[in-house]
Amino acid sequence: MRRSRPALRLIAWLAIAVFGLVYLFPLYWLINTSLKSRAELFASTPTLVVESPTLDPYLSVLFDRGFLGLLRNSLLVCSLTVLLTLAISLAITYPITRLPMSRGMRVWVLNWALSLRFFPPIAIVVPYFVIVRTIGLYNHPLALVFVYSLINLPFGIWMLKGFLSEVPQEVEEAAYVDGATRAIAFRRVLLPLIAPGLLASAVIIFAFCWSEFLFALILTATRDAQTFPVGVQGLVTQFEIIWNEMAAAGVIAIAVPLVLMLLARRYVLAGLTFGVIREK
Amino acid sequence: MSGSVPAASLRSAVKRRRLGATPPERLAYRLLLPVLGVVFIIVLIPLLVALVSSLRADGDGPFVGAQNYVRALSNPLLYVALRATGIYALIVLPMEIVLGTALALLVHRSVRSPTVRALIFVFAIMPIVIPPVGVGVMARLIYAPDYGALNHLLQLAGLIQREIPWLSQPTGAMLSVASVDVWQWTPFVYLVMFAGLQTVPRESVEAAQVDGATWWQQFLRIELFYLRPLLLLVLFLRLADVLRVFDHIFVLTGGGPGTATQLLSLYLYRIGFKFFNSGEAAALAILVLVGMILLYTGVSRLLPVERD
Repeated sequence: MRRSRPALRLIAWLAIAVFGLVYLFPLYWLINTSLKSRAELFASTPTLVVESPTLDPYLSVLFDRGFLGLLRNSLLVCSLTVLLTLAISLAITYPITRLPMSRGMRVWVLNWALSLRFFPPIAIVVPYFVIVRTIGLYNHPLALVFVYSLINLPFGIWMLKGFLSEVPQEVEEAAYVDGATRAIAFRRVLLPLIAPGLLASAVIIFAFCWSEFLFALILTATRDAQTFPVGVQGLVTQFEIIWNEMAAAGVIAIAVPLVLMLLARRYVLAGLTFGVIREK
Repeated sequence: MSGSVPAASLRSAVKRRRLGATPPERLAYRLLLPVLGVVFIIVLIPLLVALVSSLRADGDGPFVGAQNYVRALSNPLLYVALRATGIYALIVLPMEIVLGTALALLVHRSVRSPTVRALIFVFAIMPIVIPPVGVGVMARLIYAPDYGALNHLLQLAGLIQREIPWLSQPTGAMLSVASVDVWQWTPFVYLVMFAGLQTVPRESVEAAQVDGATWWQQFLRIELFYLRPLLLLVLFLRLADVLRVFDHIFVLTGGGPGTATQLLSLYLYRIGFKFFNSGEAAALAILVLVGMILLYTGVSRLLPVERD
């Protein structure tokens, strides 16, 4: 039996409440600011609760400042990255998990993939800048797609390896007994079984890709190729900061991956924490 | 590999002894090697490019030997950046680990309702996928002069009379920048530690309670024992991230005031893309890579990562 001590539990709940408050207030303040009109913004003291909420800042950011184009660039880059990363990851993890192979090779590939995760981006962005300029992909979305696929490959490989090795070998063997070829067994049996895993990986890779800033900052120069976070940063360093528009752009930047992730949250956790956490 | 290939591998092992590689084995290497080869080369090229430019004047001039390295290492700002990175890590890592573990312990011990647990869980995942640039914007709205919420709240509470210029004095800027990291990554530590606490066997906890262990003893003697490998892992992952941190600092302070929050990655950015010292930047990139490889191989020996 657990002896409950009311005083201790009260303190615990209070502490959790304080954590929650400190954690949620900045988010509240961001949303609050994003809904303020220009006039309310210049009130002598900031209003703690927005008085006349308006969507004008959002419209102004998306249309007048052309962030809609950045949004489109980001969606394009991230979707292509997800496809490419998953395709490469599948081509690497399928033989590793489903075909006979020496243990040494298997371990080497997985460790090599993991080590890619720890490359410091700032160190590789210097040579990438040179390469991308040399091959004429500077300020082109494809340059970002290639770099992002590489950056996200470790996640793709480790997540798919997890999902693939959870499917028992017997399932495929049953298909072979029924006369299926390897390709058919892969398409009709294995792929549907790992579909939830693929979805989870896709969401996580999309979110990481959406958040990436350093490579986007350095490898792009104009609105034709810049991604959303680069645009958001541009609003911050201007001479005069328009708080409500900056906040609105921030809300959009934060909301996109959050919405995606909440939709797929059942599948997402194992991947996000690098498999440290396994749901029971 | 969980339970894969028991019968099949046995069969193939027997066959291999007779005929060399079996057809599935050949298929495996035919699928794997081309993809792996291409990726490997794509990873290798930038390293070679960096290595070559680090040996040339301005990155593409005549070869000058180790001159770029000498220049990179004799720039006093490098040591300022390393020091700032160290301070940042020393603020951020202990705070995140202590706060995250404490919160996990609190929720584990005192929240019974599955709904509340699930709610906390969802909130805790959120910051992991939020763009650091967005978090930087958020922090800007908290710390900025004139509009910043923090000064406003402190004034409302009567704690300060005049605004504190958080971002324009070195200590305040470092604390602001570090607080953003703590805000974003404490929930990650919480998630890992909370999951770890669920693996502590109930019997040992109950036995300790029967023996009259206090709240604190129960943590120190039992739960900490099960959390230790996870603590190491979290420390490793967070350290790796701290050494890469760039986005939110770039948005919040841009490395300033002066060089107060110019961590290693911001310093490298400045050398390479503000001053366009390509040679020196390439040399720095190589040095950072080598340094990190040494660091990781050292630290990763301590890790309980499953290797297969």
